[in-house]
Amino acid sequence: MQTLRGTKFAIFLGLFPALVIYLGIAIVPIGLSLYYSLMNWNGIGSMTFAGFDNYMKILTDDTFWLSVKNNVIIMVTGLIGQLPLGLLLALLLNRGLKGSGIFRTIGFMPVVISSVMVSLIWGMVYNTEYGMLNNLLSMIGLDGWRRNWLGDSTWSMLSISIAYIWQNCGLYMVIFLAALQNIPDEVNEAAELDGATGWRRTLRITIPMIRGTIMVGVVYSISNSFRVFDLIQILTGGGPAHQTEVMTIYMYNSAFINMRYGYGSAVSILVLLFSLIVISVINRFGREKEV
Amino acid sequence: MKRKSGLYRLFAYTFLCLFAIINVIPLFWMVVNSFKTEQEYAAGPFSFPKTLQFANYARAWEVANMNVYFLNSIIITFASLIITVLLGALAAYFLSRFKFKLRGVTYGAFLLGMLVPIHATLIPIFLIMQKLRLLDTYWSLILPYTAFHLSLTVFILEGFMRSFPKDLEESGVMDGAGVYRIFWSIILPITRPALATVIILNFIYNWNEYLFALVLITSTELKTLPLGLANFVGIETASLTLQMAALTIALIPILIFYLLLQKQLVNGMTAGAVKG
Repeated sequence: MQTLRGTKFAIFLGLFPALVIYLGIAIVPIGLSLYYSLMNWNGIGSMTFAGFDNYMKILTDDTFWLSVKNNVIIMVTGLIGQLPLGLLLALLLNRGLKGSGIFRTIGFMPVVISSVMVSLIWGMVYNTEYGMLNNLLSMIGLDGWRRNWLGDSTWSMLSISIAYIWQNCGLYMVIFLAALQNIPDEVNEAAELDGATGWRRTLRITIPMIRGTIMVGVVYSISNSFRVFDLIQILTGGGPAHQTEVMTIYMYNSAFINMRYGYGSAVSILVLLFSLIVISVINRFGREKEV
Repeated sequence: MKRKSGLYRLFAYTFLCLFAIINVIPLFWMVVNSFKTEQEYAAGPFSFPKTLQFANYARAWEVANMNVYFLNSIIITFASLIITVLLGALAAYFLSRFKFKLRGVTYGAFLLGMLVPIHATLIPIFLIMQKLRLLDTYWSLILPYTAFHLSLTVFILEGFMRSFPKDLEESGVMDGAGVYRIFWSIILPITRPALATVIILNFIYNWNEYLFALVLITSTELKTLPLGLANFVGIETASLTLQMAALTIALIPILIFYLLLQKQLVNGMTAGAVKG
């Protein structure tokens, strides 16, 4: 292809528009975030250099640490909810039971529906007076179990986590199912010959075979938990009294409600930093175990 | 391998059915109740409606501005999709079929985008759009949607185009066609399967997007479906059945889309997640 005349210019012309949009809107802003995070700025007046002031203020703000705690709750409940459930479903569906196609279709459905829709539907489920859950409890005679699921601080994060797991579980099911279906038949046959059957085989052979995919699932689940926004913004808006706020909500509120762009940028950098730290720790932990 | 005891089967089906019920019940409950009057719903949230109140749908469509939101979502989704796929395919073509000095760097730069969380870019994008006077226009969403989905688009298309044999373009070169001609009439047509995946993925991601819309759009006339719905439910708290009707209207097209293109959606979204 090098023989074509004017190829270099043609290559440049072909890549240029994509690169401009992509770098300008997806990459450069990260650098800008870093820059703004060192500034004191409300978007209207002049920007003044603040050094690490924003970071210091954030790290001494109790509300911020509350949001970190809630992020950890989402991360942990996501890990112990989505992954084992997804794996179990994948294992069951991998056995070639009749009708597994239908279960897969139903299982993946919440992943395709927008998170806004999922949040609004779960908002109706949890509605104190008219919601599905409380009415269901009343119907089966458990009136005492009725709760203000999203307003009561004992239950609100758990309620959110359940909606979160409901939304994402199907994704892990499909990821694990694809990995299980890639295990060569010889492995299973060899296991059979060695007398490994049932749960023993699942634990000793099948699960180790898809270890790599499980690690991918773990990392994805963690990075996803740091990005959660839509669900909580719509279900509770972070309330009552910051009780369900996560870091992205905290960032959104500081930047777009309180108009503190520098402060908000610093939060967004911290979110990025925290997720990178957790993921690299997990990656290291995962690799050490492999050796 | 297929040795299954009856007990195992019983357990498996019970568990799977339970899971399926939990997945479907909230949606089913919502759709059923959307056909009731408000009184009927308050009296019995688990009964079936005596008569189907289609009037709820007419009112929801009206009150929730559904026609406006649908139209905006369609315009923004398809505009971003067309730009992303065209520019992405062009970039993928040069990255996969040509050798040049900065090829590796450029490709690497595109891949990097799959790791970027949009929250880390939200404030600067808002300020950039403000400066460009694009805030609260279709472009304020089309540009970020394009930028953030170029990575996956380039990744999928580059991988596919790379697999074509090297002498594919030769006949075109013989005929004296230029590189763009070759792209358009030789490469693009045989990339169709990958293009389909990319188009479906871009569609679903753009259609469902909320955070950018929340930050960058303020006028009611420009709101997309997710943003419009979220606002409508926030304001119209008096009538739950009306909310349900509005949500059902928005749910139906996406369910049909899912059932029709299930295989591509499942494979594409899974790959998108694993790579990203």
